[in-house]
Amino acid sequence: MVSQSTIILLLIPLIAVFLLGIESAFAQESTGQYIAHRIEVWALFYRLMVVAFVIGAVVMGSIAYVVWRFRESHPKNRGDITTTRTGGTHR
Amino acid sequence: MVLEVKKPRPIWEILFSTHHTDIGLLYVYMSITALIIGGSLAMGIRAELFTPGTGDIIPDSNTFNRIFTVHGTNMLFFWLIPFASGIGNYLIPIMVRYKDMAWPKLNAVAFWMLPVAMALVWLGFADTTWNAYPPYSILKAPGPAAEMWIFGLKIAGISSVLGAINFIVTILKMKHPDLPLMKTSLFVWSTLVTSLMIVVAIPTFAAALIMLYTDRLGISGFFNPAMGGDPIAYQHLFWFTFHPEVYIFLIPAVGMLYELIPKFSRKPIFSYQSGVAAFVLLALVGFASWAHHMYSTGMSFTEKTVFMVGTLAAVPASAMHVFNWIATMWGGRIKFAAPMSWAVGGIVLFFYAGAGGIVNTAMPLDFLTHDSYWVVGHFHLFVAGLVTMAFIGFTYYMFPFITGRMYNERQAMIAFWLFFAGLSIVFLTQHILGLYGQPRRVFDYVPVQPLIIMNQIASVGGWMAGAGAGVFLYSIITAAFKGKPANMNDPFAIGEQYYDYTRREPHH
Repeated sequence: MVSQSTIILLLIPLIAVFLLGIESAFAQESTGQYIAHRIEVWALFYRLMVVAFVIGAVVMGSIAYVVWRFRESHPKNRGDITTTRTGGTHR
Repeated sequence: MVLEVKKPRPIWEILFSTHHTDIGLLYVYMSITALIIGGSLAMGIRAELFTPGTGDIIPDSNTFNRIFTVHGTNMLFFWLIPFASGIGNYLIPIMVRYKDMAWPKLNAVAFWMLPVAMALVWLGFADTTWNAYPPYSILKAPGPAAEMWIFGLKIAGISSVLGAINFIVTILKMKHPDLPLMKTSLFVWSTLVTSLMIVVAIPTFAAALIMLYTDRLGISGFFNPAMGGDPIAYQHLFWFTFHPEVYIFLIPAVGMLYELIPKFSRKPIFSYQSGVAAFVLLALVGFASWAHHMYSTGMSFTEKTVFMVGTLAAVPASAMHVFNWIATMWGGRIKFAAPMSWAVGGIVLFFYAGAGGIVNTAMPLDFLTHDSYWVVGHFHLFVAGLVTMAFIGFTYYMFPFITGRMYNERQAMIAFWLFFAGLSIVFLTQHILGLYGQPRRVFDYVPVQPLIIMNQIASVGGWMAGAGAGVFLYSIITAAFKGKPANMNDPFAIGEQYYDYTRREPHH
């Protein structure tokens, strides 16, 4: 049975990235001339870079936050060592 | 868990062993050797490119071509693949609860083919580039170096296939009957998926190598335009193997991160099923995207669109892994010992690599970046960023279990920061160098200020990463002999408990 978290994990990247890919797939409608259209190509490049940097900022920000907030030495994280679901054993 | 080298053993006992932990250790020793000697070639390349002009460090362009050919071949085939095989050999039988690999002697044979292959590649020192594209590789590349390269890769390929078959049978047929596949570690899944990909992908390149060799002998003309052959056909055969090979490098590293991150976050994996699903997805789409390396070869718009969409299909699967790792860490109590630091650093670089890859994938944009230093920066962020950092992190993680000693944490963290910062500097700068138009594989470049400055920044970053690798090597060698005895119940103090494996399964 597919869990809810799996479905959420599947949907987030699909929406965030794959739809952008489809857009860039159909950005070029004519064939054979795109090398000459340098300005359009560079404009597409910069648009994609803006998108990439926005998504990158979100993901990198999340990683930075997780690393800072959930580190062992964070004041809210001091206390007994918690164990894994298996109770710390791997047999 | 494993407690392996509790007492020093004679070297011949390890060399002639067919036990999976010994074979695993031999793979790891060989691959770390390859990392260091192959990395030293990269240091030489960056020294030569520090300033424009020729002959600063490397005497001529021919030697330069030979150096980056052997660097690439060595790093891919004798560092990345063998290291994953080594850790797989060490852990897979334990994880599936079997006494050894399915065929221990075949396992030893598969390993011992690799030093032979490595010797052929290094002694030949070919100049074909690691792609060996015809017509150069069949008409002009000097022999016997090119022949030695072909046979070296042939032997390495056979070794990979034998190892992969062994892994598949061990996991699927030797697994304990009470252990369902969906309860095994994600590292087991990563090894299974990788092995299946090897079995499907490698034979195509094996056939291409034979055709390349007979073309060089002049008895066939598969890729020789003068004899009616088509050099582009080689590129299709090559990339049908080597785009999946990118995932063959990547997936074991992802499997190792799935071991490290939950343990050091002191939390279970956020979503095991999505990890499995993402492995399978990556394996499938890995075979649907090979021609994205060939947009500039004159394919039709429709063909390029198909391969572009096929490539983009890998993005959700990769993103699932990243979100899974972040979600696993979220709410945990993370201990940033060296293995975890290397793992998180790898994830950061993996994201950069993926973002750059989307640009390469979009075919109009690929014309801006194709064969430029952008591509060099992009794929190095994968193979040196995520994969190598995960491998080194996993080496630190396994170290106390293998040696019974603890490495020096301070040295490991110095190595991490040097390596992580160095890689970020060199490979992100190379992206910009590519946009400025510097082609890859060049011995010299136009002496204009932006290129000089960025090449110098890249070289300094490269040397930092090299220094980090040197500190890593120093730390594990000194700790193996002089490290403090590790607390074998829980060497990283993360609340885990491990049992003594050798007491259960003695060597044979």
